[in-house]
Parts: sequence; structure tokens; C-alpha cells
Amino acid sequence: MLEVKNLVKKFQSGDSVVTATDDITFTVPDGQFASIVGRSGSGKSTLLSLLGALDKPTSGSIVVGGQDVANMGDHQLISYRGKSIGFVFQNYNLVPSLTALENVMLPMEFAKMPKLERIERAKSLLAEVELEPDQMDRKPGRLSGGQQQRVAIARALANKPKLILADEPTGNLDSATGKMIFDLLHQLSRKENTTIIVVTHDLEIAGKTDRTFKLDDGKLVK
Amino acid sequence: MNPVSRGIRNAFRNGVRTTSIVVILGLSIGLSLTMLVAQKAVENKIQSVKSSIGNTVTIAPAGFNPSSQANNALTTSELDKVKSLAHVSSVTETLAGHQSTTGSSTPSFGRFGDSSSGTDSTTTSLSSPITLNANGPGRFFASGGSSDTGTTTFSLPVSFLGTTDPSSVEGTSVTLKTGRAISGTSDTNDALVSDAMAGKNNLSVGSTFTAYNATLTVAGIFTTSNKSVQGTVVLSLPALQRLSGQTGDVTSAIATADTLDNLSSTTAAITSTLGSSADVTSAQEQADNTVKPLNSVKTVSAFSLVGAVVTGAVIILLTMIMVVRERKREIGVVKAIGGSNLRIISEFMVESLTLAVMGAIIGLFIGVIGGQPVTKMLVNNSTASTNSARTSFQRPDGMGGVFSEKISSDTTDTTAPRSFAGRFGQGVQRNGAVKGLSNIKAQIGWGMLLDGFGAAVLIAVIGSALAAGMISKVRPSTVMRAE
Repeated sequence: MLEVKNLVKKFQSGDSVVTATDDITFTVPDGQFASIVGRSGSGKSTLLSLLGALDKPTSGSIVVGGQDVANMGDHQLISYRGKSIGFVFQNYNLVPSLTALENVMLPMEFAKMPKLERIERAKSLLAEVELEPDQMDRKPGRLSGGQQQRVAIARALANKPKLILADEPTGNLDSATGKMIFDLLHQLSRKENTTIIVVTHDLEIAGKTDRTFKLDDGKLVK
Repeated sequence: MNPVSRGIRNAFRNGVRTTSIVVILGLSIGLSLTMLVAQKAVENKIQSVKSSIGNTVTIAPAGFNPSSQANNALTTSELDKVKSLAHVSSVTETLAGHQSTTGSSTPSFGRFGDSSSGTDSTTTSLSSPITLNANGPGRFFASGGSSDTGTTTFSLPVSFLGTTDPSSVEGTSVTLKTGRAISGTSDTNDALVSDAMAGKNNLSVGSTFTAYNATLTVAGIFTTSNKSVQGTVVLSLPALQRLSGQTGDVTSAIATADTLDNLSSTTAAITSTLGSSADVTSAQEQADNTVKPLNSVKTVSAFSLVGAVVTGAVIILLTMIMVVRERKREIGVVKAIGGSNLRIISEFMVESLTLAVMGAIIGLFIGVIGGQPVTKMLVNNSTASTNSARTSFQRPDGMGGVFSEKISSDTTDTTAPRSFAGRFGQGVQRNGAVKGLSNIKAQIGWGMLLDGFGAAVLIAVIGSALAAGMISKVRPSTVMRAE
């Protein structure tokens, strides 16, 4: 269960203070596929950063699996991000010097999983996202956008996280590939019983999720 | 993949950049190592020069000028006071003299270092075994100020040395080939001649020759490789004093302190005892003067060493800052998926270390190849100016340029004749020492190689320190803002 209560995030911008998320409260049950929609600058990405513990809120709480993320120390946050959260980014954000297989193994290495186990799981996940075996040893530069996003999804699933946060995962893909990636995410969330929150502009995609939150000027309006 | 293998792999992510950095770093480390080699070689040479000069004090008449006819010699009675001083273990007294050879014309330079008591009109039956170089007598006279450039009958005069220690001449131990040693204190007409002198004049033990209007007997024949000593007849001090009519006079003396620790106090005591009548120079001062050029090389190499290390560190520092800025997004991603600061900083430090070690390998090659020539060049440049500065005061007036030019220009021929000027003072002795300075050996040992790698590690650590600070400040949310 993801519980967000009275979440506020303010930024200093020159002399003025910008409220990126304004008193947001919602809950998402385990295994649910939810989406966040809103115009540019409505606070979607900021909300995702806060949920993923990439940034600290000004006030409020984020409770994931009974743990309040907002009050965690730096070391706990590193562990939380590595083990409880999976990220999928619009620009894939794979490490360019590592192969597809090594990229998927990286979060498991941070979680101190034994090497042989890491290799087995990474291969299994890449097979699950339908990446060809000969593509596993390729570096991101030699993979297509769709293939890179598959690798990013496999990486997000590496440590069996409770929550996967996807920021515009289909934004850089053509519609057919985007649909394929979205279906893959949906399918995996069902299979792994993982909560997935997707930020998107695409209302059609949002309509296919279990639940949609709409943000407007940092406020939750739906 | 652990941080070490990732760091090493990251070092090769951009081949062109890596090559450029490694080459520049290699030059920097190479220069550091070269300067370290030069510094060590110079330090060793300084130690060697100082230890070779020993704990002696040279005593010469005050303001002694070999060209002057008005020098005041030291006296044995003055030196007896020196002998009685505390910590003086021995005093060797010498008197120098010269005799023209029979049948040669008298050269204009007159008496080499003789006392001021008139002009020697006597000659010796001996001929000097020393021959002039290709410049010949004509040039000798021309340079010497004589108008008699047409003289062709001139041959070098023969040096006579009266000494209280005939076993050593001009600081060189002589080895008897045949015959017997002579006493430095007995007043007899026995003499020691070199094998070269004996060969030139068909002398053997028991042969006689004339000098100072007296007949002298060859008591022993010694061997030496020192050209100037080969042309010297060695007598006891009382004998030469008597023969040359300089009873009680001494040209120079060398006092030996009992220990090196007492050298300074002994020098001060001798100076105080002899007052203004003598110039007293300790071996320590000579050593200090001799190694002056090396000290400047040491300073230059120390500054260059620091400069090269700092340059290397700055290269790595700027490189790593550039790399961190380039990979800011990647650092954010790694942090977002659970990478700790320590882990990421470790990777960057290994990357920095890899570059530094590769640079060190190139630098070591440069250091090994360039150490000796650069050290020689630095020492030669430094000693060359010293040599040219000293040439002027080494020339006795009227003696001409042949000898002094030969001495100052010939840096390889250790048998070059330098006795005439050399006996007159320390200028040429120092020149000889300075010449020896350029004969410097630069070596790279394992210790120095380790120092080189140590410097590389230091450069890498210093260079990546700021980068580490920048990495720790990259927030994982950077990855979202970059979207």
C-alpha cells in the first residue's frame, strides 16, 4: 500500500517560492496500475521524484509498505531506492558504458546479490521483456529506443520492488512500440503484483490504467 | 561488475581523450621523475664531494699571488704554533720551486711560485717530461706578453717540491717503483723523481743530476698518472729550503683536524693563530664552494619537481571535473537505482588512478631515458658559468693562455697539464673539482620507481578529490530534471 498524506514540495525560484505539489493526499493499493496526468508544469515529475525518494518533501508523508520515506536518513534512502523502487525514464537512462545485461545487473549488485544469481536473474528478466539473447551483450548505443526501454523495464524489476515509477515511458517511442511497452508494464505488474505509477500526457494510455490521478498547478483535482 | 573493473573500463570510454590525457600526464610524471633523478644524483654527488675532500685545512700566505714577486711566505715557526693547537693531528708543509732547463732561454713569466727573494738564475740538468700541446711555444709566448715570439729553444721548467710528507704530492699518493722513500724532515740531497722524469732523463736509482747549483741523487722512482706530479722532483722540505735559499719559508701547508666534527673549530683556531698573515680555508668551505653549482641544480630540480607534480595533479583534477560534469546525469541514474556516494566515488578514483598509472608508465620510460642527459645538461650549464667566471683569475700574468685555456676548455682529458696554475692556489683545484662535478651518474633504482608510482597515486588522489566532492553533491533527482 502506498499512502501519500498532505504532501507539499516548495522550491525557491529567485525571490519567489514555487509550490510544486500542494497538499496532495491519496492511496494506491498493492499491485494497482495507476497513472498521473496533467499539463506540463503541473507537478507530475516532482510528485514522482518524491514518491521515488529522489527528493525530500517540504512537508507531509509518503508511506510505502509501512515505512515513512519522508523521514528516512540518507543511508536508508539509498537502500530504499535500490530495493523498494524501480524507475523507468522517458530517456531510458541506461549506463552507456555497460551492456544490456550489465545494466540490469547493476541494481542487484548494489543490493549485494551474489554474482551468479545476478546473471541468472538479469538474463531471465531480459528474456521476459523479449530482448533477444544476442542483444543482451550490446551496449545501449547499439539498441533501438524500444529495446532500450525494455532493458530499462527489466532493470526496474531487478530487485523485485514494491513500487515501479515510470516517467513518460512511451514518450520517446512510436505509437506501436509505445503500446507494446505499456502492455509489457501492465502485464508485469499483474505477474509480479507490483504497484506501478505512470506519469503520462497520453489520456488514452491513462484510460487503460486501474486508476488515474489528475494534477493541476500542484493540486490533485481528480 | 565491481567498482575497480568499472573504474578501469570507464578510463577507456573515450579513446582519444584517454590517450591525450595519458600522454600529457606521462610527460608531467616523466619530468617529475627526471627532476627527482637529477636531485638524487646531485645530492649523492654533493655527499661524495664533501666526503672526498675530508677534514683538512689549507693554509696559504695571505693574498698569495703567483705572478707577484712580493709574496710573503709562511714560516715554519708560524706553522709550529699551528701544530701545537688542539685537534690538529698533523701539518704537512710544502715549498714549491722551479728551475729552468739547461740551454733553454728564460721565459718571461720568471719564477713559478718561488719566494720573493730574488730571481733564480740557476738551471737544472733535467728536462721536463711534460710536453706542450699543439699550440706550441710560439703561442705560449705570444699569450704571455713576451715579444720574443721567435724563441724556439724554450722547454718547460722543472718543478721542485720540498715537503714534510714525500709520500704524497699535491694531494696524490705516490707509489715507489724502485729505490727508497726519503724523509720529509732530514736535510739531504736525496730526491724522488717520477718514472716519466726518469725515462726522459735516463735516470735510475743512484743517478745524480744538478739543480740549484748542487748535485742531487735519485733515491727513489715513483709512479703516478698525474701529469703535473710527473714533472715534479720531490725533496725534503729542509733540503729545498736550503738549496733555494729560503730557509724557514713555506709556500703552503695542509693541517688535518682529528675529526670532521672539529674541522670548523680547528679552522677558526688556525685563523686566529696566524692572523692576517695567512689565508686559511677549510675543506668544508672548499666543498661548499665546489658544490655551489650543484646546489643551484638542486634548487632548479626541486622547483621543477614540484611544478611537474602540481601540473599533473591539475591535469587530473580538470579531467575528472570535466568527466563528472559530463556524467552528471549518469551519476544521478546510478544513485536513483541504489548506488551509494562511496561506490560512485570509488569508481571515479579508480578511473583517475588508472589514468595516472598509465601516465606513470610513460613517465617512467621518460625518466629512465631522460634522467641522465637532463641531469648532465643541468650540471654542465651550471658548472660552465662557474668555469668561465674562474678562468680569469686562474691565469697568472705573463704565463699566457695556454695552460689556463687548456684547463678550462678540456673537460675530458684528466691528464691535462695544470700543475703550474694549480700549485699557486685553489682556483684550479676547484676547477678540477668542478670538472669532476659534471661527471655525474644519474641512476633510477627501485626506490625511485616506487616514488614515481607514489607520485602518480598522489596525483590521482589529489586530482579526484574535488571530483569526489562534486559527485557527492549530485542529487538523484537530477535525472528527473534532465527529462
